[in-house]
Amino acid sequence: MTVLVAYASAPEGREALTEGIKEAHRRKSDLLIVNIGRGHHDLDAQELQELEGQLTEAGLALTIESSILADPGDAVIQIAQDRGVEVIVIGLRHRSMVGKLILGSTVQRILLDATCPVLAVRADKL
Amino acid sequence: MLDSAMAALASLADPSLLIMLLIGTVAGLIMGLIPGLGGTGAVAILLPITFGMEPPQALALLIGALAVVHTSDTVSAVLLGAPGSASASVTMLDGYSMAKKGQAARALTLAFLSSMAGGIIGAVGLTLAIPLARPLVLSFASPELFMLTVLGVSLAAVLSRGNIIKGVSAGLLGLILGMVGTSPTTAEERFTFGSLFLGDGLSLVAVALGIFGLAEIASRASQRRGQKQIITLGGGWGQGIREWLTHWTHVIRGALIGIWAGVLPGVGATAGTWMAYGQAVATAKDKRQFGKGDPRGIVGPESANNSVEAGDLIPTLLFGIPGGVPSAMLLGMLLTYGIQPGPSIITEHLDLMYLIVWSFAIASVLGALLCFLSVKQLAKLTKVPFAILAAGLVAVMLLGSFQEGGQLGDLWIMIILGVFGWLLKSTGFPRAPFLIGFVLAIPLERYYFLTDSLYEGFDWMARPGVLVFLAILILPMIWAFIKFIRTRRKTNLDDGHRDEQPEDDEAPLKNSTWSLTASGIFFVAFAAALISSASFSPEARLVPQLVSTGGLIFSGFLLFIEIRRRLRDRTPKAGETLAEEADGIRGTQPAKAGWTLDAKFALKTFLWMTGFLALTAAFGYLIAVTIFIPAFLLIVARARLKVAIIYTGVLYVALLALPSLLPIDLPQGWLNTLV
Repeated sequence: MTVLVAYASAPEGREALTEGIKEAHRRKSDLLIVNIGRGHHDLDAQELQELEGQLTEAGLALTIESSILADPGDAVIQIAQDRGVEVIVIGLRHRSMVGKLILGSTVQRILLDATCPVLAVRADKL
Repeated sequence: MLDSAMAALASLADPSLLIMLLIGTVAGLIMGLIPGLGGTGAVAILLPITFGMEPPQALALLIGALAVVHTSDTVSAVLLGAPGSASASVTMLDGYSMAKKGQAARALTLAFLSSMAGGIIGAVGLTLAIPLARPLVLSFASPELFMLTVLGVSLAAVLSRGNIIKGVSAGLLGLILGMVGTSPTTAEERFTFGSLFLGDGLSLVAVALGIFGLAEIASRASQRRGQKQIITLGGGWGQGIREWLTHWTHVIRGALIGIWAGVLPGVGATAGTWMAYGQAVATAKDKRQFGKGDPRGIVGPESANNSVEAGDLIPTLLFGIPGGVPSAMLLGMLLTYGIQPGPSIITEHLDLMYLIVWSFAIASVLGALLCFLSVKQLAKLTKVPFAILAAGLVAVMLLGSFQEGGQLGDLWIMIILGVFGWLLKSTGFPRAPFLIGFVLAIPLERYYFLTDSLYEGFDWMARPGVLVFLAILILPMIWAFIKFIRTRRKTNLDDGHRDEQPEDDEAPLKNSTWSLTASGIFFVAFAAALISSASFSPEARLVPQLVSTGGLIFSGFLLFIEIRRRLRDRTPKAGETLAEEADGIRGTQPAKAGWTLDAKFALKTFLWMTGFLALTAAFGYLIAVTIFIPAFLLIVARARLKVAIIYTGVLYVALLALPSLLPIDLPQGWLNTLV
């Protein structure tokens, strides 16, 4: 079984990754990172290596995957369905009502469309 | 209304119209197969043939071709994984995956049927738009029409893919180029440098074929090898039909998205199909199969890319602002017949409107039918290497652009603009706003002066219609600005649905010396226009000065960005991290592209075209063809000798026969005038 982390190079993406690693250890599941940031800013190689080492120690595997779908929400859900993912971990940030109305919200789409449990974590804690 | 519609249908029973529609459909299907031509190439190549015809025949021919270009472009996308046009690359995602599983026939059935339905729904949309927009259009006076032309150019610039500043610069330069020739208000010559030939303005066909056609040939002529894979159509025809019937909602949704994308200026078939694909994915519950052969991934986009062309016609015919590049040329054609799109076409030429609708619908059905019947032959055609096609295409395009004015000068302009178009394409400038600006330059100026002479000061600004258009003009800009700020702050991660196409490799020379040169050319051109317009009379001066000042501001900004980027690259430390970052972004992206292989090849191709034109000028067209074609085939395309001889022979005979079949003149050389 696998834990899917929707990663982006922003506070909410970081938070999702930290929580995703915890979740993987807790569930004894492999970790799958899907990059949803605009542009191609992946995690840097050193950090990935450290993370992989840490996971292998616990007997877990790390994979990074991308999808041909342009929309990040669709991409996350497609990969989650395809891999039979156990749980999706996403990070959120406060969004105003108007902001969501006009610009839409990827997180909302993932929450509504996902066919597996979703763990949502907030970056801007109290 | 119904009377005119039925009368138009009855008129299509006229054999000459039916034959033209059939010829147009077949030509459109063939041109859809040739990579890079698409609707733009189809209309630009067929347009010269129509110069001697009556408007109904000409429209039947052009609409027939335009309606089916996106039906056949699927074939190579599905069978070879090499799309015939940019919009077919969406179909490739799922269609090619299906073909790899041995179900090419299933994918093609879905695609052809959806294309047909998309065309028919598009035609229905066009029909419904006529009575809906009629009262609105009839209430327009010159201030609204002026605002519409401004809106046409600026929306095309803002909505085109890529950088907005680049889009606006391209649109403004198109406007300036459109003003070459006699001023519509004072009848004085502008930007002609005393040349009589430029006094008539630049020929639309030459500009369109140069910016799009020749540029496309130059950037693709390096493809010497055709696809060698063995193609199997496989089974699944019946399954395709059944699936198509179960996904009918996707067909309709795709078509509606296509119409909407068509109505918006500058949003063409490519963006429309990606929107339709994104929509199909977003509404699907089980997304696993997308990209691996999901029928819904074919049905929606295929239906959309045909209805886009019908949607394009809605603003073109009703408001006189083209929704896309092919319809910009159609608009130019209508103007040469003295048919003014906009209010007058609704009142005076309603029959032509309905003729267009019927032609579109009939051609869509006919196109799909022909595709089903001839899919095996079409598949073979897609195996011909592009370099071999390029030789004939150059000959045909040069001949085509000669027809409008019968002057060799048009051909030289076409090649110069071809080089410019290639530069724009490779450095990521959108070309659609350029051509739309070119077509709308004269109407824009005319409506402005009408408005200015009919209203006191800025009174016209207070008309409700004008205010609405102003709002439509400003909102996308505010929108773009908000998005820009959010991107900079990286607060846009959660901003909802993104269905834009993935970053493509269409602009390989972006951020290089080339794009710096391109920005420089823009800046110099606007500066030159501003300086030379100072000598015009105040009335002829106003609009060119406004446009070139705006152009200077935008292109100056572009130049500033390019120079700053270069300076940053040069400082070694920052340069290193940037280069690393670039490597991380895309392994192969050249940090500083100088003379890349493609650039060399493209410029070589342009030299070949120049050589061909010089031969034509010296010895006449027929002799030039017999020298150019075999030479190009043997040296550039590296074809076999037998191919070259047969190719040249067939083309020569066809060219000899052509003038007696169609109203076409072959360019005469300097030698012919002596004899």
